[in-house]
Amino acid sequence: MTSSMTGQQRIRIAFIAYGILGYLYLYLPVLLLMFFSFNESRAGSLPFTGFTFKWYRDLFADFLVIDAFWNSLKVAFITSILATLIGTAAAFPMVRLSFRFKEILRTIFILPIMVPGLLIGISLLIFFASWLDMSLSLGTVIIGHLVFTTPFVVLVVTARLLDFNYRLEWAAADLGATPFNTFRYVTFPLIFPGILAGTLFAFTLSLDEFIITLFTIGPESTLPMYILSQVKFGITPKINALATLLFMSSIVILVSTFFILTRRKGR
Amino acid sequence: MSAASQPQIIEPAPDSTALLPAVQADSATPRSPRLLLGLLPIGVLLVGFFLVPLTIMILYSFWRAEGFEIVRSWTLENYAKFFTLPAYTKVLFRTFTISAIVTALSLVIGYPFAYFLVRYTPARWQQLFLVLVILPFWTSYLLRVYAWMSILGDKGLINQALMLTGIIAEPIRVFLYNQYAVTLVSLYLYVPFAIITLYASLEKFDFTQMHAAADLGATPWEAFRNVLLPQTKAGFITAAIFIFIPMLGEYATPTLVGGAEGALIANLVVNLFRGFQFPQGAAITFVVVLCILTLLTALQRYIRVEELYRR
Repeated sequence: MTSSMTGQQRIRIAFIAYGILGYLYLYLPVLLLMFFSFNESRAGSLPFTGFTFKWYRDLFADFLVIDAFWNSLKVAFITSILATLIGTAAAFPMVRLSFRFKEILRTIFILPIMVPGLLIGISLLIFFASWLDMSLSLGTVIIGHLVFTTPFVVLVVTARLLDFNYRLEWAAADLGATPFNTFRYVTFPLIFPGILAGTLFAFTLSLDEFIITLFTIGPESTLPMYILSQVKFGITPKINALATLLFMSSIVILVSTFFILTRRKGR
Repeated sequence: MSAASQPQIIEPAPDSTALLPAVQADSATPRSPRLLLGLLPIGVLLVGFFLVPLTIMILYSFWRAEGFEIVRSWTLENYAKFFTLPAYTKVLFRTFTISAIVTALSLVIGYPFAYFLVRYTPARWQQLFLVLVILPFWTSYLLRVYAWMSILGDKGLINQALMLTGIIAEPIRVFLYNQYAVTLVSLYLYVPFAIITLYASLEKFDFTQMHAAADLGATPWEAFRNVLLPQTKAGFITAAIFIFIPMLGEYATPTLVGGAEGALIANLVVNLFRGFQFPQGAAITFVVVLCILTLLTALQRYIRVEELYRR
């Protein structure tokens, strides 16, 4: 660190320092949250009064959180499967055909992603509860989640199809494959990573969604609803414990997805 | 990610496409019009549960609520109220101000970081560095807001640290429940958005142009201003839109760290709906939607949503 350093080097060091600071900024709050889940003190903060698993025991003893967790999984599972089917079916004509109104359709597809979830939630609440006089349930939550996750699947699968060389399909057809077999053995395996990415994307989005849920949910609860109700009035170390478990499991899911995708590459 | 995991395909020269469409008529080809049927489910979904409810919401915004009943008589009073009642205009103004500040700061903080990722991380590990930016995203959004409650709160980290070091005797309450807390926490939520979007546009930039500019006598600042910045403008605008729009509808942050002083439009709307004031809530939401649509139309040519997912 002397004057012998060139300007280039100084800029380099400045940017690397900035990068390190950036990662600290992104990670420190989350790491602190996890750290204090093991703190005996109820404050969820300093001082560290002793190591404990108490908050984890509290969490698992709370039937509300278990219930909310299963509801969230149920909603995310059904949403991601349906969104994948609907979105993939829509991606094919959007990439491969040219037809009238295609641009308008494209805009309509992107709109649910661009507008705040608040709008989707409110309009569905008015539609279900006031206009149709329907009772709200996890079913209405799934519909709300489908509205905003399906367009994401369309985008992800579309991107995949644009990179797809469909002369491979002609080759298959020339060699006598039926349209179904062409899809089964050529098209599907090639776009599968894109579809899987879309499904996972929809699953995570649904799992974390809460503003649409807030408006479309009936007497049940989902995990974000539970968290909101708990943290609204301050710090609850039980929620720190929940945060730690959720973060850990999302890392496991992310890493295993990464391995699945890279193993496919190796074939 | 996806491009790398696809088996290698030898791309034919671009002009060879002209030779091929002869096969198109066959139903086995990928261009079969039967594919149009694939649009049916999404059509039902988005028309039935997005466009129709949206239209009904707009109708409601021109009606009146009397107690729990909706009276279907046409009126503009919901809109008039929104733009004249000081309690409403204040929240409207605050929401736009905070959203603009958060957007600008996210870009300013995110740009050097994206530059760091593109220029100063080893190419082999760049994807990993990028994933590390996205990773905190995978924790629940609400929990990331909550993390800041335990930093800024009464018994939060800052107060505890200040008290342990003897700088203050009693916890001070300036950190939480105001618009600064909303700005600070929102910033934390949206900086990764800025980084990812700006990274995508910086990554495509050919940095030899910077050397060329330097050789031709440009100072680093001039090269940045006249070469790099114009070519990454689309990335800037996309990032700005993807931060500003969700900020307008931000609910969790003001609810948890904003207090009465930091309430945003979403809080107002949720409260109105809790009080069965559907028409008033609908009118406010519709105004926000109109602002968003105007913005999107004006900046349409810069936004390439598909590009974001093409990697």
